[in-house]
Amino acid sequence: MPPLELLFQQALNGLMLGVMYALIAVGFTLFFGVLDVIHFSHGDIYMLGAFAGLSVLTGLAAAGAGTPAVALPVAFAASIVITGLIGVAAERVCVKPLARSSPLMTLLATLSLGLVIRESVLIFYPRGADPKPFPWLLPQGAFDVGGVVIRYDNLAILAIGLAAMVAVDRIINRTRMGAAIRAVAQDPEAAQMMGVNLDRTVDATFFLGSGLAAVAGILSGLYYSEIHFIMGVTGGVIGFSAAAIGGLGNVYGAILGGLLFGLVQTMAAALIPRGSEFRDVVAFAVVLLFLVARPSGILGAKSVERV
Amino acid sequence: MILVWAAEAVVLVLVILGILAESPLALAGTAAAGLAALVLVRALPRLRAALAGAFAGHPTAALAGGAVCALALPFALRTSPYWTFVATLALLYVVIGQGLNLQIGTAGLINLAGAAFAGLGAYTVGLLTVSAGWPAWLAFLAGPVVAVVVGTLLFVPILTTRGHYLALVTIAFVFIFNVLMNNLEFTGGPQGIKNIPTLRLFGYSFTTAPTVLGIALPAHANFYFAAVALAAFATGVIRRLHDSWLGVALNTLRDDEIAAKCCGISIARAKLTAFCVGNFFIGLGGAFYAVMVGFVSPPDFDFGYSLIMLSVIIIGGVDSIPGVVLGACLLVPLPERFRFLHEYRLLLYGVVILVMLLYRPQGLWPAAVRRYR
Repeated sequence: MPPLELLFQQALNGLMLGVMYALIAVGFTLFFGVLDVIHFSHGDIYMLGAFAGLSVLTGLAAAGAGTPAVALPVAFAASIVITGLIGVAAERVCVKPLARSSPLMTLLATLSLGLVIRESVLIFYPRGADPKPFPWLLPQGAFDVGGVVIRYDNLAILAIGLAAMVAVDRIINRTRMGAAIRAVAQDPEAAQMMGVNLDRTVDATFFLGSGLAAVAGILSGLYYSEIHFIMGVTGGVIGFSAAAIGGLGNVYGAILGGLLFGLVQTMAAALIPRGSEFRDVVAFAVVLLFLVARPSGILGAKSVERV
Repeated sequence: MILVWAAEAVVLVLVILGILAESPLALAGTAAAGLAALVLVRALPRLRAALAGAFAGHPTAALAGGAVCALALPFALRTSPYWTFVATLALLYVVIGQGLNLQIGTAGLINLAGAAFAGLGAYTVGLLTVSAGWPAWLAFLAGPVVAVVVGTLLFVPILTTRGHYLALVTIAFVFIFNVLMNNLEFTGGPQGIKNIPTLRLFGYSFTTAPTVLGIALPAHANFYFAAVALAAFATGVIRRLHDSWLGVALNTLRDDEIAAKCCGISIARAKLTAFCVGNFFIGLGGAFYAVMVGFVSPPDFDFGYSLIMLSVIIIGGVDSIPGVVLGACLLVPLPERFRFLHEYRLLLYGVVILVMLLYRPQGLWPAAVRRYR
């Protein structure tokens, strides 16, 4: 059994990972709630968010505006807008045209769109095959609480992630657009009868979800200090798993699922011999257990089919 | 009957020309000829009707002609062992694609772990022969069995859950498979397993170059002929299953699970059967790959290959058995032909799937409408 400090340390790391996963998972769950689709290219949208953020940051640094206080907010804002628009475009290209065909078709289409995005970054981004170093912009240094080292940059990532989640909660529960999203998620036809513009609501949902993925992408760049064109694959699978564990369609479930996934991963790394290599295996085993034991997720409503 | 064979001969000649044409000019000429033939068939309704009638009227002759063409190919390609290898690979994708199509197309079970199941077959062969010293044939047969068993153990719990969960878990499984193969010691890690012994038939090794009718063929021709047999076997078995009650039941439960249940179909049993049979053929393809190449390593079985297998089905036509053959024969050799595209290969696969799904979701050779008599 590892010492208690190590466990706390790992729990802290798990929380960090969990916040990023949760941000991706919220996108999955929003799309599922509104359109009943699994948007399999969402992971690659997250990767695009990281690359957009990095491009903005390098551009700013070249223009001489590289101070963190200026560069970071600009990078976040720009990346959210760019990635959000790409997310809307992805929905227009390969979700909307297939709305009337079987769910299999949307799944396959979004899956191949993800492949196209990934390969495009690999081929067309300058030296896209290499991992890209991400600038260190967060305050360095750390303090110590009873043997647990808490780094300032980690705290900053946690704070940004939590702020994004609070923002989502506010948008969904306090704004007109949020009300429209909730209405469509509950019943698209009834919502339209009440004067909700379906297309605009769907666009807003995809913008919101993809923007959150962009935040997660930049955060992961700041955390790992490098990004890679392939990161969207694992990011997407984990995000979807987290959303499924939490209960597809439930935003709080997605957040819970993301945090749980991060904790399981880091605890597996701490408790199992050579755990850091096999942490994904353990995490997906947990997903499998969840799907068997509680297929509708932690917070998901149990769906009953009447025949 | 003459018409059927003439058409097949034209296709064979075009294929051979397409493969052997090295200079861009010759290649363009062949492509133009192929295109002209296609346009001719499409533009002349009389010719089209005659061809369709001939193929429908003489199915046995059509099959025999196809078999002759398939067996004749290595003789035309004897100067280029590489293309014999590519043709064999295409046939392996037929085997894998038929298995996957039974799962995805017929039963609607979205299995995105095709690469992992092929990898299970291949790694089983490698481990059993190199580490455990089994005879090659026994290991070769054990490969698909292991794929089936692992698939059954891991996926039975979720086979009956609805929706996208199977897709999720199969994606996760590809990644787990790759992590395990990369990090476990007994699988050789990233180096993989080398020197997998090849198959021998009555003391005759598959790697010796054969001489048939006095013509020396490249060494891969043995594997090519074996793959023709394997592809024919897979296609035949899957066709029989597809035309049987199982196929009808699977189509029903794919389209409406509740209705299928009401008709007395055991959902769990039907899905499990489709999943196991499919994995058997996918594992068989992987095992054959292992004995042919003699070397397996994790990157040969990553998620990208699952997507290539998927594109074979979507190009050919979901649930269409001849479509899988067409899809594999188009999608595997074409990127090899255009070598300069190689870097863009996966990108092209993605674009092709997307375009097909959006504009021709039924595929190039759509599944025939079931006729009940």
